Amino acid sequence: MILLLALLLAADRPVIDLAGGRVQAYPLAMARPLGAQEVSVAVESVLSQDFERSGLFKLLDPASFLAPASEGLTQIDFLKWQAVGAQGLVKVSCDAPGAEIKCDLRLYDVAHGQELLHGNYSAPRASQRQIAHRFGDDVVRFFTHEPGVFQTRIAFVRETEAGKQIIAADWDGANPQPLTGASINLLPAWTPDGKSVAFTSFRDGGGAHIYTVDAATRQVRPLVLMGDFATGAAWAPDGLRFLFSASLDDNTDVYLSQADGSAGRRLTDARGIDISATWSPDAKRVAFVSERAGTPQIFTMSADGTDVRRLTFQGNYNQEPAWSPKGDLIAFSGRDEHRTFDLYTVAVEGGKVTRLTQNAGTNEKPSWAPNGRYLLFSSTRGGKRQLWVMQPDGTNPRPVTSEHLGASDPAWGPLLPAK
Amino acid sequence: MTESSHKSVLALQPRTPALPGLALAVGVHAAVFGAALFLPQFFDRVPPLRKPIIARMVALGRPRDPHLLPRKEMPPPPAPASAPAPGPVAPLAAPAAPRVPGKGPAQPAQKHAPTRQELMQRALARASGRASAEPSKEEPDPERAGSATGSAQGSAASAEEGDAYFTAVHDAILENYVVPSVISERERLFLSASVLAWIGRDGQILKHSFQKKSGNSFFDQALDLAIQQTRLPPPPADLAQSLRDTGVVLNFKP
Repeated sequence: MILLLALLLAADRPVIDLAGGRVQAYPLAMARPLGAQEVSVAVESVLSQDFERSGLFKLLDPASFLAPASEGLTQIDFLKWQAVGAQGLVKVSCDAPGAEIKCDLRLYDVAHGQELLHGNYSAPRASQRQIAHRFGDDVVRFFTHEPGVFQTRIAFVRETEAGKQIIAADWDGANPQPLTGASINLLPAWTPDGKSVAFTSFRDGGGAHIYTVDAATRQVRPLVLMGDFATGAAWAPDGLRFLFSASLDDNTDVYLSQADGSAGRRLTDARGIDISATWSPDAKRVAFVSERAGTPQIFTMSADGTDVRRLTFQGNYNQEPAWSPKGDLIAFSGRDEHRTFDLYTVAVEGGKVTRLTQNAGTNEKPSWAPNGRYLLFSSTRGGKRQLWVMQPDGTNPRPVTSEHLGASDPAWGPLLPAK
Repeated sequence: MTESSHKSVLALQPRTPALPGLALAVGVHAAVFGAALFLPQFFDRVPPLRKPIIARMVALGRPRDPHLLPRKEMPPPPAPASAPAPGPVAPLAAPAAPRVPGKGPAQPAQKHAPTRQELMQRALARASGRASAEPSKEEPDPERAGSATGSAQGSAASAEEGDAYFTAVHDAILENYVVPSVISERERLFLSASVLAWIGRDGQILKHSFQKKSGNSFFDQALDLAIQQTRLPPPPADLAQSLRDTGVVLNFKP
């Protein structure tokens, strides 16, 4: 009879469906660093910046912390951290006994008083930022089950008085290293192994051609010297082929070539310009810009050049497509009715266009993070053209570069192979 | 007297077999179960109104040219600061500064201070609800272009009555319902959890327990926190007993 009563009561319970909770950053406290202060503070600072830029975490104000600064790595009063609203707690302790630094980094679940992650990392002093990036990636992977991008590299074009040079840097703009001199060098594109960067250059004085530079040795070699205008290399995910655009017989088309630049084959043959090709993540389709409809619009086609479909129908100047690593969206820049270029995404299925930037200068050249969680782009929102990073819905924009004369043409490098 | 064949009433009687009695008991219980489960459907019971009232605000305006690139959805502009409550004596209007013709932007015409009688009339109008019926004099904002027929995200073509209290419960929990951003979008597609909550006569959530956990501890932790932080209004008298004793099921999806 009790069971019967329970059944009847359960059947009579009202049910309320709740959906659409606010997506909110995870409240994280970065405890005061322990150990050798100079090194620990530097590592903690890089780690904090990574977490803030990621948009995944909300770092709590250290001024509100109730726990003593001397609280150890393991003897933790979790109630004091809970009282300030922390759900996660990170502890950093580094020592630098010699030329190498060693760090003990831990992540705790405050509500359950439980250690979630514990890593011991070591690196030469010059690479102390890498320790923070490595632990940051471990934390992101722990929560999201997706790889983090804090150890990835980016490439971009630095404006100088002498011209434009290709630069490689950490994802946050730190450690910028010139890969080329300062002639006119544009449109960098990382190879999928992250070892070299293809770029368009006017260095030989005979028009624009595609070159590649080794990121370690900075050795430059020509890749495509076809005609007097070859530009915009885009590597296939397998690294065995790349797309580019070239102008022959007064018509600019998309070409496909082997990795060494040989066996170039034309994929498009419409009148007007076909340019800025980008691969889908499965390498089965290609998105590109074409003027065949009268104005520059985003089109897609099969990797062999067949099955061409128009994707954008709004706006009259859409350019620079970048296919997301998750495959569902293509980011592009488009000129709106106020003649301002802003960033948009278009859904590959259905073609829904979503605006990402607005009323914040000119925004161009989107480049996806290899995990699809961020977009790197150039923007004049701060005055000079610089690189910014934001989430694919346009939120949490953060500056990446602060170049003297400006930065443009960002290209996000690949994920490092798992160690 | 012959030898009597009478037996003493105190002598042991042969025992009735237990099986028929047991079968009868099982049969009766089964009949009661069956009746409880199936009989209610033969009676007309008015289903209680338990569907929350969900109202989506719509932005009406000039439809945007479909050939243009879309605008970004911006939060609505903050409401203008409300005028101070009129006091019993209207303040004297400051004398207007003399305006030099042709210099500076045009100033709006000075309004006269409302008289006590006007203030009283306005208050009466507000109280009777007439004030809200006045048509809005707000100029259409060209930036707020939208669909002439309402929100494309609207969930229904017509209004539907629901239960006001459960709507209040829905809204109060939703206000505290946070999905941690560390949960990947892909995982969010498949997460769901069910929580049983008991509500006291004063609206306090007496206790709650998971009927079904989501499998993601951070999501479950966020739900725990949302329910702990929620303050509910006291339930109406006809619901108070059942909400305290039986509870309400909360089905969460991100």
